[in-house]
Amino acid sequence: MKRTFVALALIAAAAMAFGQGTIKIGATWPLADITGKQGSMAAQQAVDEINKAGGVLGRQLELIVIDDELKADKGAAAIEKLVTVDNVDLIIGGMSSGVALGQVPAMKKYGKVVVATGAASSTVEAALGADADWYFHLHPWDYNQGASYAQGWDEIQKKYPNVKIKKIFLAYEEGAFGKASFDQTKILFGAEGRYQIDGAPFKSAALGGGDYGSVLEAAKMYKPDLFLWAGYDADALPMLEQAKAMKFSPGIYLGAPPGWPVGFGTSRLSENVMLYGMWAPSINEVSPVSKKFYDGFVAKYKAEPATYFAPLSYSAVYIVADAIKRAGSTDTAALIKALKETKYESPLGQTVTFTPAKIIKNQGIKNQKILQWQRGRQEVIWPFESATAKPVYPFPKW
Amino acid sequence: MANKRNWTVALALGAAVIGILVWRPTVLIYGLQAAGIYASIAIPMGLILGIVHIVNLAHGEFMMAASYLTYMVCRATGMDPFLALVPVAAVTAAFGFGIYKLTIRQALKAPELNQLILTFGLAILLTQAANLAFTSQTRKISFDYVSASVDIGELSFGIYNFVFVAIAVAMVVGLRLFLTRTTTGKAALAVGQNPRGAAIVGIDVDRTYALVFSLASALVGMMGAVFITRSSIFPAVGSPFTMKSFCLIAMAGVGNIPGILASSVLLGVSENFLKAFRGTRGWADIVFFVLIITVILGRSIRGKKA
Repeated sequence: MKRTFVALALIAAAAMAFGQGTIKIGATWPLADITGKQGSMAAQQAVDEINKAGGVLGRQLELIVIDDELKADKGAAAIEKLVTVDNVDLIIGGMSSGVALGQVPAMKKYGKVVVATGAASSTVEAALGADADWYFHLHPWDYNQGASYAQGWDEIQKKYPNVKIKKIFLAYEEGAFGKASFDQTKILFGAEGRYQIDGAPFKSAALGGGDYGSVLEAAKMYKPDLFLWAGYDADALPMLEQAKAMKFSPGIYLGAPPGWPVGFGTSRLSENVMLYGMWAPSINEVSPVSKKFYDGFVAKYKAEPATYFAPLSYSAVYIVADAIKRAGSTDTAALIKALKETKYESPLGQTVTFTPAKIIKNQGIKNQKILQWQRGRQEVIWPFESATAKPVYPFPKW
Repeated sequence: MANKRNWTVALALGAAVIGILVWRPTVLIYGLQAAGIYASIAIPMGLILGIVHIVNLAHGEFMMAASYLTYMVCRATGMDPFLALVPVAAVTAAFGFGIYKLTIRQALKAPELNQLILTFGLAILLTQAANLAFTSQTRKISFDYVSASVDIGELSFGIYNFVFVAIAVAMVVGLRLFLTRTTTGKAALAVGQNPRGAAIVGIDVDRTYALVFSLASALVGMMGAVFITRSSIFPAVGSPFTMKSFCLIAMAGVGNIPGILASSVLLGVSENFLKAFRGTRGWADIVFFVLIITVILGRSIRGKKA
């Protein structure tokens, strides 16, 4: 009897020790989407790397991922479960702004530290409010992105005087994403009459559309120096094919989808198409951290990272691990203080620090990058400090 | 009186076409091209609905599955989709036959709601299977001929999408010949009109349903193969076309295959007409449903008067 009691006590003690031994990181992503799928894979890669190197404060990290299915209600329920059932120490992840809006009330209720990898819409920032000092936002807000593009084009025109932009045409998908992009473009580029802006909506192939004839015709009639389309990856090649058929070749042909189709770079049509983004494999040449991330991802998953959500989520894990180490515990107040002092050289080719945004106090990345497809690769052409190639201008005639 | 009215309508239509051609020829060009795509996807669904009397809510997903199959065949062998459509159509015909025997056949006498739930379930199954196998990332193969164009003065426009108009017309003519000139086709028509009567005169109704379902699956498989020349593919690519196809069939009237083509032309040209104006560019979906409601209401009112 006595021996049984001792054995049970030992098992219980071991179980408790094991339970206390792991630092639990909760995460939500849309796992059926490439952004969420690769984001969660990269986060697991970072967790494995850190654990292999001895963990944090002598404890192993444990990543608990819940699929938010790109639905606000599922995302909110995931936060509830992570906090109340899984007892996570902090939360990372996220992609969609709509899901984030649904999660904000649950996040506010529990006040756990959140390091968000997604949510670009500033409506999320408004919903969080200025008091959400536990919220650390890695992804740039929509106004950050717009401002960085305007700055980028100004600097490119200054450095390369042959690049001249006066008229901009935006073809935008008719949903909330495209409309918000058009509104931001008008505000940021149209200010003080610096640029002339026009645009037209189209129905994205991702939503059952895919006929770009009328929008390209409107663009061709406008004769823009910069043609920008804001849609989804499904629109990328069909729109180029129709532009070629219509002999529409603006000075700059630029796409801003969240991701690109498989093998886009292998199509001859992709040559010299510009894009907005946060990361590309070419950054490996200028950033050893990017190369370490990339090589590790390819070795572990036998696939290339196809979306910047992969290095962003990888960064989120390293940022929280570093903060826990400096805080000496997972106590929320100590963790917030440590996160505010973050200085992390990320695989995105830039050092992440947290500074105030318009409303929230802890905004990580504020810049996007301007890239260009050259010989099948995405090359960074701005910011110049992480540039991997010079811009090819103008976009060649068909 | 009726003859005079028909002439007036024909003249008004002719004047409208000439007016649009002079003002903005691309409205007609892109409108017809869109109509070709709508019709060639909707016609196989119309065939099933007209004869088997089943609304196949997995119709778009059948096309999506065929597109992925074509994509794999083309990637593996370097074959052109127009060649790959032959084996793909054979596979989708066999797939359709299997689906009919295993699922649809069991639900033929069930309430319509059960049939809808069954095919809706098939749609979800196919979408999720594609998601697991290929992820949600889109895929597209570029073909130079897709960007073929014609210049008339300062106007340059793509002509490749007229392929879909040709496919739609070929489907209408081919199905008409099949249904009116062949014994099997006549039997299918009879089963579609009155399955009990057809069975009484010795037609194997079940075999006819299986054949029609397989034929429609082969046609949608062919469309899936050609579809990848024009569009990117991803697991959810088919579902919007299911709803659009169903609405076009409702507009044309069940069993009216040439009517699907006519409805598609009306829809494609109307959509592109609105897209030509700055203020109405985003109204394409609205015009779609307005046209459907108008046509169905008009038909109902005429039916009541008759």
